[in-house]
Amino acid sequence: MNWILGFIILIAKLGVVLVGLLLLAAYLVLLERKFLGRLQIRYGPNRAGKFGLLQPFADTIKMLTKEDTVPAEADRVLFLLAPAVVASEALLIFAVVPFGATITLWGKKVPMVITDLNVGLLYVFALASLGVYGVALGGWASNSKYSLIGGIRGAAQMISYELSLGLSLVPIVMLARSFSLVDIVRAQADYPFILVQPVSFMIFLISAVAETKRIPFDLPEAENELGAGYHTEYSGMRFGLFFLGEYVNLQVLGALVTVFFLGGWRGPLLPPVVWFLIKVLAVAVLMIWVRGTLPRLRYDQLMHLGWKFLVPVALLNIVATGAFLLI
Amino acid sequence: MRYGMRDVTETGLYPISHIPHPTSVHAVFNTEGCILMKNVWEAAVALATGFATTFKHLFRKPITEEYPEYKRVLPERARAVIILTRDPDGGERCVACYLCSAACPVSCISMQSAEREDGRRYASWFRINFARCIYCGLCEEACPTSAIQLTPYFETCERDILKLVYEKEDLLVDHGGKDKEYNFYRYAGVVTEVGDKGTHIKEGKPVNIKSNMP
Amino acid sequence: MPKLVIDEREIEVPEGTKVIEAAEQLGIMIPRFCYHPALGSVGACRVCAVKFLEGPFKGVQMSCMIDAKDDMVVSTTDEEAVEFRKYVIEWLMLHHPHDCPVCDEGGHCLLQDMTVSGGHGVRRYLGLKRTYRDQYLGPLVQHEMNRCIHCYRCTRFYQEFAGYFDLGVMQIANHTYFGRFKDGILESPFTGNLSDICPTGVYTDKPSRFFGRRWDYQRSPSLCINCSLGCHITASARYREVVRQEARYSEAVNGYFICDRGRHGFHYAKSETRPGKALVDGREVTTEEGIRAAREKLAELMSRIESDGVACLGSARSSLENQAMLKQLCQKMGWQDPSYFVDESLAKKVKTAVTRLEPELTVSLRDLEGSDAIIVVGADPINEAPMLALAMRQAQRKGGKIVVLDPRPISLPCDYTHLPVKLDEINLYLGALIKAAVDPEAITDAEKDVARFYREAPMLEIFVDSLQKKASSLAQELRASQRVVIVCGTQVVRETTVVLAGDCVSLLRAAKKQAGLFYLLPQANAFGASLLTNKEFSFLNTLEGMENGSIKGLILVENDPFYSFHHRQRLDLAIEKLDLLIVLDYLESPAVRKAHVFLPTSTLYETGGIYINQEGRAQAATKTYLGGISIAQISGGNHPPRIYGSEIPGGEARAAFQFLDQIGDGGSDEDETASRQNPLRWLSANLPALAKIPPFGELTEAGMLINSSDEGTGQFSLDWKEEKDKGDMTGDLLEVILTDLTFGTEELSSFSPPLRKLERKPCLFMQVNDAAKMGLSSEDRVRIKLDEGDVEVDVRLEENMAPGVVILPRHRLLEWQKVKRLPKFVRFEEIEKVSD
Repeated sequence: MNWILGFIILIAKLGVVLVGLLLLAAYLVLLERKFLGRLQIRYGPNRAGKFGLLQPFADTIKMLTKEDTVPAEADRVLFLLAPAVVASEALLIFAVVPFGATITLWGKKVPMVITDLNVGLLYVFALASLGVYGVALGGWASNSKYSLIGGIRGAAQMISYELSLGLSLVPIVMLARSFSLVDIVRAQADYPFILVQPVSFMIFLISAVAETKRIPFDLPEAENELGAGYHTEYSGMRFGLFFLGEYVNLQVLGALVTVFFLGGWRGPLLPPVVWFLIKVLAVAVLMIWVRGTLPRLRYDQLMHLGWKFLVPVALLNIVATGAFLLI
Repeated sequence: MRYGMRDVTETGLYPISHIPHPTSVHAVFNTEGCILMKNVWEAAVALATGFATTFKHLFRKPITEEYPEYKRVLPERARAVIILTRDPDGGERCVACYLCSAACPVSCISMQSAEREDGRRYASWFRINFARCIYCGLCEEACPTSAIQLTPYFETCERDILKLVYEKEDLLVDHGGKDKEYNFYRYAGVVTEVGDKGTHIKEGKPVNIKSNMP
Repeated sequence: MPKLVIDEREIEVPEGTKVIEAAEQLGIMIPRFCYHPALGSVGACRVCAVKFLEGPFKGVQMSCMIDAKDDMVVSTTDEEAVEFRKYVIEWLMLHHPHDCPVCDEGGHCLLQDMTVSGGHGVRRYLGLKRTYRDQYLGPLVQHEMNRCIHCYRCTRFYQEFAGYFDLGVMQIANHTYFGRFKDGILESPFTGNLSDICPTGVYTDKPSRFFGRRWDYQRSPSLCINCSLGCHITASARYREVVRQEARYSEAVNGYFICDRGRHGFHYAKSETRPGKALVDGREVTTEEGIRAAREKLAELMSRIESDGVACLGSARSSLENQAMLKQLCQKMGWQDPSYFVDESLAKKVKTAVTRLEPELTVSLRDLEGSDAIIVVGADPINEAPMLALAMRQAQRKGGKIVVLDPRPISLPCDYTHLPVKLDEINLYLGALIKAAVDPEAITDAEKDVARFYREAPMLEIFVDSLQKKASSLAQELRASQRVVIVCGTQVVRETTVVLAGDCVSLLRAAKKQAGLFYLLPQANAFGASLLTNKEFSFLNTLEGMENGSIKGLILVENDPFYSFHHRQRLDLAIEKLDLLIVLDYLESPAVRKAHVFLPTSTLYETGGIYINQEGRAQAATKTYLGGISIAQISGGNHPPRIYGSEIPGGEARAAFQFLDQIGDGGSDEDETASRQNPLRWLSANLPALAKIPPFGELTEAGMLINSSDEGTGQFSLDWKEEKDKGDMTGDLLEVILTDLTFGTEELSSFSPPLRKLERKPCLFMQVNDAAKMGLSSEDRVRIKLDEGDVEVDVRLEENMAPGVVILPRHRLLEWQKVKRLPKFVRFEEIEKVSD
């Protein structure tokens, strides 16, 4: 009986997380548009429902009902596959993210994480690397110059920043002495790591923004030079999947920052899940603020920043942390 | 920011023509160099200023004018729906000279010129495809008779795109638009009911070719 | 060869070249109004001023008045010259009525261009503008004198170049006026050129008045097919109809000008009566169904009868592709070869002409202008091919002598000597004239048959007394001339005359003169038709076959025998007996109405095509527009209907060669371009004369001269004795000569509304003495008894025509097709006065 209950709980968790992620992604879009609007002294969407609250539904219906076109000269199979890779990769990362303290239901301990892998961090990196495929394949398969350039930029950018992303987390692992994300949260019981690892935090944040291809690192889809970059040729729900992937990634980013640096679900008064949500949203809002403030980098500046600044600084940080731990 | 003049910055924000000298990379790690500290400080201030500016915007009242509820009165010379005007004597100003259709960058104007019994040239049909029009106003600039004019009225949305194709009867109005005075046929030396040879503005009497008087 | 420097670039030009021309060779267009390459320089407009920096002249001078000389250094951009030109423009614009928006010249107006490029914008002169009253100049030209800048191009063309004097310059100084003494239709058949050469909008094209602007037209290089000269034109189409035709410069053929028949003869292509849909038994069907019906009916017919029971009639107005495709089809299906001429005798004459045109004898229209003597035999240039008259005038202006041997009342816009002789006597008189013109010394060493031909030719004495003196002085002048051209018509003359014209040229060449031969052929592509004609099959054979029942099927390709065959009744009966009549055409005709299957073909403007003109010059006309019913016709003047789709409304016509191709090979659905290659490939493989014909679109501007001469055969075979016997055979009979008018006879141009306004009424020309015998005066109306009925026309009396003939122009409004046999003679009693 036990495993049946476990299975039901697992399915329920999966369902709740999936629905939550998708709903949150939809409303993150609205949040971003509203918040960005206010940053630019305008209202943002306010026509669909009160305060534009139904806007995500309108957008979803629009994208679902739009024609799904495939360019005549495109590599059909890859073209159709690429958006799915992006969206599923983003969703899968969430499997190892703990979003609350373990609770007890009907006498059974239910961890607030879908699966607590002991190599969770590696899993996160593995999947994040897979995200490159979606972008590169989408760009390649479209058989369009804009898409191709966007795809190549995307591949180069994501591979470059993966390095500093990974290196920035080495001190965290050193401090937590575990690859499990649950353990990392537990390791921050006394103080969040942001306090002892601000450099690491900054590098991770910058690299993660670059990984999610958001402004100021949105070169792969730079509108004013590449149309829409790697997803220029996409329409309807296939474009929707790229879009979804981007906003799920935003949540993943928020979640990872929360887990690695902000102490995870911990917090006073409010329930852990709520604290977790608040932290994730705070990171998301920060990202939107960045988008509303900073201009896009040039390609050479992007590479320069990644290779010549972040990677060396991250390495120094590892050495410094190692030295500190030794002492 | 003296952007183009700085030879190196900590973030690599240099113009692309300035390929950084290898030493500039070392400068990043030159913890002793005060240049680095100065640059980092400058960058931090610049970033902070940016974030502060956008943050302040959050609390400003949006400048958006919410259109259907609030309609701004547009200036007289705002460019929207095109009309065909009449001269002060009530005649159609358009002489179907094809200059507007020639000037139109999107080829949305077409017409056919014809001759009225009194010799006046007019458009037997005149069509503007507003679904294609970009309201650039080049037609109005090209018009030698002030016939075609753009008006501030722009609310012409239609669900059926064919309804945006306007014929002459849809375009013709009974006033002179922005130019109330001009009548082309009072100036041009052609015979119409507006005037015979020699009766137009600044014209002398027709030459009598059968007379030897100077 | 003077060598000069213009705008720092050196150029070497032939002696006598004007500086303005030299600059043009460098690609520098010096502004000009009065200068025109065909009309020369007069220095009237002062706008071609340039500065001469070095050389025999110094300072600002008119570049059109100064011959290029060695060591000249010319600047067109010198400040002083530019300023000079700017003031000239401003001065020319003083009286301009500022009516460009309603002027049809706007858009291709030289004055507009020069004003803008000269930088003149605001009129500074405060005085009153000079105005003029305009005149009615006929249906082709619109007059608007206010716009005049007094460049004199119109009168120089009209009077000096074309030789007509009813339009000219009047008054002096500021009152200078170009027009007629009083309103009226211009007499010249070249008036359309006024609108071409006028640098501003004084003369504009009236039929296309207010139709559109030059920039909106689909313009393409095309050819005139209203006579056999093959003049070059630019066709302009807009809204799916041809709107205007203009002269296109051609070095060898028409130069800068064309005649009014060619300019306005295009209306057949947009005629409201033009059949646009396929018909099967009088019922409208789709084109595909029409082709299927034609194939099925042909197959059904051929299953019943012998393969030579189907005959085809092609046309001399069809393009070479159509003609060749028809022959290809006949050979494929095993039918007898097609004929292309309704008139058997005409077919023979054209064949003779084509075989006689050896390359060294052939002269182009341009060469003709350089000849010093032209002998016209049985041709009426103004009525049959007007541009020929213009070329002859140029020859005459350079001092050439023009002699016309023709029974008709010829009138030419130049000095000429007309020897009005009967058709049967032309040969003798021509022989006598040429004999007298040849210096006996010059042919002492000639070959035997040349010598015999010369020896037996009649003496000048055969001329009647009244012409004797004229003829002998002519002979003297001809003897002195070096470059003689014999222009020979093929319409009215006897078959032997065409042969003789060739012989005479050969004789002149034997006498060491640079003689040339110039035939006039009946239709635009008669040359091509003749190349494809098999002598054994004529339309007369076909007609006989139809009558005796051996021919049961007939295919007419762009030919309407009801229009051109002289015996309508016989044709009607023969056609009735057919089991199957298939007609392909773009003109409305009785044949179309009688057809069991009718397929609408496209015109020259919709398909283009290769045409071979009378000198054997294969030239190509390109497609002007895609076809279909014109927007004006669909909308009836109101705004056009909103038809959306990729189909062209009414665009069901296809090229005849495409139809024939589809009838022949079971309906392969090749497009026009692919289908066109079939006949051209077939031609180059099967016709040695056309072996080198390039693919369509690769023919050069100058065309390609086709040589299909048959050297030596039948030369000098004329028997003078027999000719002399025939000479006075006719006795007291009048020969009825069926002939052409400039407007109203030619099939295609007779569809043109503006030209219909210029047609003269159907009439009968009689010699004054003949008329006097019968007591007829010029006001009278007569009835002529022809074989199948009477024809009633007005009489016109002419002095300068041969006695013993009456001239009956084949007018579109006249039912002249009542003649059993040609030539047709009537007795005096058969012409009677009709009292009203």
